[in-house]
Amino acid sequence: MKPPTVAPAQLRDRPAATPPLKVVGHSPPRKDALEKVTGRAVYSTDIVLPGMLHAKVLRSARAHARIVSIDAAAARQAPGVHVVVTGADLPAHIMPFYGYFIKDQPIVALDKVRYIGDIVCAVAAQTEAAAIAALRLVRVHYEDLPVAANIEQALADDARALFDDAPMGVVPAYGDGASAQLRPRKNVCYQFNYRTGDAAAFARCDHVFEDEFRFSRMTHYHLEPFVSVADARGDTMQVWASCQNPFPLRKELARMFKWPENRITVQVPFVGGGFGAKNNVKTEAVSVLLSMLTGRPVRFCLTMEEGFLTNTQHAAILRLKTGVMADGRLVARQSEILLDAGAYSDGSPLVAEKAGYRIPGPYRWEHIDTACLCVMTNTAPAGPFRGFGGTQTSWASESQIDMIARRLGIDPYVLRMRNLLHLGDPFVPGESGIDSDLRQGLDVVCEEIGYHRRTHDPRSTLRRGMGIAIGFKDGGGVNKPAQARVKVSTSGDVFLQCGTVEIGQGARTALSQITAEILGVPLDKVAYAPINTDYLPFDQGTNASSGIAVMGQAVERAARGVRDQVLAFAASQLGVEAGALQLGNGVVLHAGKPHPLAPMVMRHYGGTGFEFSADGFFKAASDHHAPLEAPCVFWEIAWGAAEVEVDTATGQVKVVKLVASGDAGRAINPVMLKGQEDGAAIMGLSQALFEHMIYDDQGRLLNADPLTYRVPLAEDLPHDFVTITQEQGHGPGPFGAKGAGEGTILPIASAVANAIHDAVGVRITCLPITPVRVLEALINQQINQESVP
Amino acid sequence: MVDAASPVGGRSECALRLTLNGAERNLTVPVERTAADLLRDDLRLTGTRIGCSRGVCGACVALVDGVPVATCSMFAFQLDGCSVQTIEGLDQDGQLHPVQQAFVDQGAFQCGYCTSGMVLLTKALLEQHPRPDRATICEWISSNVCRCTGYAQIIAAVEQAGARLAGEEST
Repeated sequence: MKPPTVAPAQLRDRPAATPPLKVVGHSPPRKDALEKVTGRAVYSTDIVLPGMLHAKVLRSARAHARIVSIDAAAARQAPGVHVVVTGADLPAHIMPFYGYFIKDQPIVALDKVRYIGDIVCAVAAQTEAAAIAALRLVRVHYEDLPVAANIEQALADDARALFDDAPMGVVPAYGDGASAQLRPRKNVCYQFNYRTGDAAAFARCDHVFEDEFRFSRMTHYHLEPFVSVADARGDTMQVWASCQNPFPLRKELARMFKWPENRITVQVPFVGGGFGAKNNVKTEAVSVLLSMLTGRPVRFCLTMEEGFLTNTQHAAILRLKTGVMADGRLVARQSEILLDAGAYSDGSPLVAEKAGYRIPGPYRWEHIDTACLCVMTNTAPAGPFRGFGGTQTSWASESQIDMIARRLGIDPYVLRMRNLLHLGDPFVPGESGIDSDLRQGLDVVCEEIGYHRRTHDPRSTLRRGMGIAIGFKDGGGVNKPAQARVKVSTSGDVFLQCGTVEIGQGARTALSQITAEILGVPLDKVAYAPINTDYLPFDQGTNASSGIAVMGQAVERAARGVRDQVLAFAASQLGVEAGALQLGNGVVLHAGKPHPLAPMVMRHYGGTGFEFSADGFFKAASDHHAPLEAPCVFWEIAWGAAEVEVDTATGQVKVVKLVASGDAGRAINPVMLKGQEDGAAIMGLSQALFEHMIYDDQGRLLNADPLTYRVPLAEDLPHDFVTITQEQGHGPGPFGAKGAGEGTILPIASAVANAIHDAVGVRITCLPITPVRVLEALINQQINQESVP
Repeated sequence: MVDAASPVGGRSECALRLTLNGAERNLTVPVERTAADLLRDDLRLTGTRIGCSRGVCGACVALVDGVPVATCSMFAFQLDGCSVQTIEGLDQDGQLHPVQQAFVDQGAFQCGYCTSGMVLLTKALLEQHPRPDRATICEWISSNVCRCTGYAQIIAAVEQAGARLAGEEST
C-alpha cells in the first residue's frame, strides 16, 4: 500500500489569535425573518400568472402493467379542459425522458407503468377541479405484469424486468480504486465499486464477522409541495419552481425540449423545505409541456399524497463482512449494499456512489472492498435525501462496530478510540485528510450523556442503557463548481449574487454574514439577490451541505476581490498605498480617518456613479488519485449518544436523553446552525423509532397519506435533547468553517440501537426499532437462554 | 344567513359576512370553496400556506373566533358570522406581535412554511394558558408539523413569548 498523502489545503489550522469578528460567529436575526413571520414570504405555491391554467395527472393504480390502450376522448371534451396528453400525444421532437446519470423516467408513461403513482396522462384545465374531473373520464386498459415490490423480489431469478431495453445513461470518470457499471444485471440500473488494499488481509484476521442490516425508507415530507409554474409561450420559457438546483434544471429542460439554455429562465422564490427531494425535474417537465401545447402559463402543484409517490429515501439491505484482530483492531471490510431505487433511477446512481464510498466509516483499514447496487423495484422512485447514502451506511457500520466490540468484550467506546482516523489522516489513499478530531468529538458527547458513568439495573423491567455512534460522510459534493458575484455601489451598498437557494438552511443570512465581515459593513448593508438563472453566476445546486464549504468559498473570494478593487480605487484617489487602507463600517479608512466612497466615486466616474464588481469561483481541483476524481472538500462528522429506557414487558423504547454534535469548523451563525443540527437529529430519531413508508409485497404503499404517515411532533422530543456545536476550526470554508445541515441525522439510529443493546442485550438490525421488533428480540433472547443449560 | 341543517340549501354560491383581520367583509363564495382557498386565492392572503390539504400539518391554520383551525379542511361558508385572523393581521403598524418577535429571536423557523400556523397556534395557546409549562407547549405545538427545526427553538420561542406577554421580561 502506498503511503497516505495528506492534502494540506484540506486542513486549515485555526489561527492562534483570531481577530475579533463583527458579523461572523454572531446570530443576528435571519435576513428572511420579517418576511417569514409576517407571512409575506413568497413561495412557488404563491405564483399566479394571468391566464394561468392548472395541471393534474392521472396516476397508475397498478404497480406494474403494460398499457394496452388509453381512451381520453371524453376527457378532451370535458368542461374547462385545454389539453390532455398521453404517451401517444407527446410531440415527436422532444426527448421525453429525464434522470440524473440515467435518463429513464418519462414525462408521461409511454408503454407501461412501473409503480403505483406513475404518471399515465396529464391535463391542463381552467381549474384544478376541472382537471381532476376530466381525469376521471380517462379509461386505461392495462395488462398486469408480475410485480417486484422489494429488493429480494426484484433480484429473484424469475423477476420481471422493469426495463426491457437499456435506457440512455452514463458512468462518470472515477479515480483510483473506484468503478461503476450501468445495468450489471437484471433490475439493477447502476453498480458502484470501491476497492483498496489486499483481500488477503482477511486471512490474517483473528475474527471475521458477517452481519446484515436493514434500513427503511422515509419520505421527505417537505411542507411546501412539489410545484412549478411554466410559461413556455413564444420563444422563451419561464419557469418558477420549488427547486434546489435551478441551473441543472435549466440544462435538463433545455435537453428535453430542445430549447437553447439562454432562452430558459428558472426562478426560485423561497423554498418550503426539500431535504433532497427538490433536485432535478419533478413537476417542471409536465408544466412546461402543457404550457407549450396550450399557449398558456400552466401551474402544476402536487398534493402531499402525490409527493409521497414522487421521491423517497432509499430503503436498503447492507451486508458487512468485517475482519478484526482479537485486540479490536479493524483490518478489512467487504460490503454489499443493495439500495431500493424504486421504479426510476432518479438520483440513485449518485446515492450508490456515496453509500458505497462511505461504508468504511471514520476508521483506519488495510482493505476495503465495497459494491453498492441500485435495485429497481415497482415502488416510488428513490432519490437524494438528507444524508445521501451516509444515513444508510452510518446505521449499518456503527451498529456493526458496536456488535464487534461487545463480541470481543471490549467497550464500544474503547474499540472506536483504538481505530479512529487521526486529524489529517486521509480517509482512503488519494483522499483529503480528516478535518475533525474524531476522538475529541466523541468525548464531547460521551461527557454530556455520562457514558462512562452509566449503570445497569438488571432487576428492573424498565432497563436503561447508553449507546454512542459516529455519523460520517464526505461533504460538499463531487465536482461541484460554484460561482458568486459581489458588487459594491457608489453609496457602499453591497449586492451578493449567487445561486444558493434559500430552502430554510439560512443561506441568505450566512453567506451575507461572510460578505459583510469581509467588506467591513453591517449585515443589513448586504442584499441577497433573488434566484434567477438569467442574472446569477452559475451554481450546481443547493445540496451536499455545500452552502458554506463550497459556495462560501466562492463568496469569500468574490468579496475579497471587490474589497481589493475598492481599496485600490480609493488608494489611487487618495494618493496612498492600498495596503495602508482598510474598510470599516462602510467607509474607507486611512490612518484612522474615514473617507466616504461616494464623493471619490463621483469625482472619478461622474455623477451617475459606478459599481465595483468581482466574481469568485471555487471547485475542488480534479485529481485522478482521489477515488471520486476530486478530493473531498470537507468531512461531515457528527457524534451521537442516546440513553434509552426499554420496557422489557412491552418492547417500548423511550429515548430519555439524546445528544447530537457536529463539528462546524466555525459556526457562521450559531443559532441557525443549532436549528439545522436539531432538525437533522430529530429526523434521525424519527427514522430510528417509527417513521417509515410501509410497502406491501404487491407494491402498495399502505401509509400514503399525511394522516397515517407519522412524522415527529413536538411531543416526540426526548425529555432531554441536547445538540452541541463543535467549532474545531479545521474547515476549508470561510473562517475555518465546514459544511453542516446533514451531519446529525447520521449517528442517531445506530446510537439508539446500541443503547438498546447496552440496556437489554438484544440487537435490532432492522429499522424502525418498533416495540414489536424489540419484544420479539427479547422473547428470542429468553428462549435462547432457557435452551442453553 | 345560513341554515344550520342545510347550510348551502342547494345553491352554488352563498353570501358570507365575516370580520377578517379586524375589517368587515361581505363576500360571495362558491359553496365548495375551502376557507384556505378563499383566503389564498380569492383574497390573496397567501401567508396561509397549504401543506397537506388534509387538516394534519397545520400550515394553513388561522384563528376563527380565536380558535386555531385548519382552513384547508373547512368550507368558506362556515366562516359566516365569524371573526377570522390570519398571519397578515398580526403585526400592527410595522410592529411585530410579541409571538412573531419571539420566533425571530429564537430562530424558530427555517423554511418558514409552517411559521404562519405555528405563530397563530402560539398566540391562541398563550391566550388560554398565559404561562404554559413545557408539557402544555408540546401538546399544543404537536397539532402542527415543522419538518425543519426539530421543535426545540419553537418551544423556546413559545416560552419567550409567554414570558414577554405576561410582562415578566422587558426585552
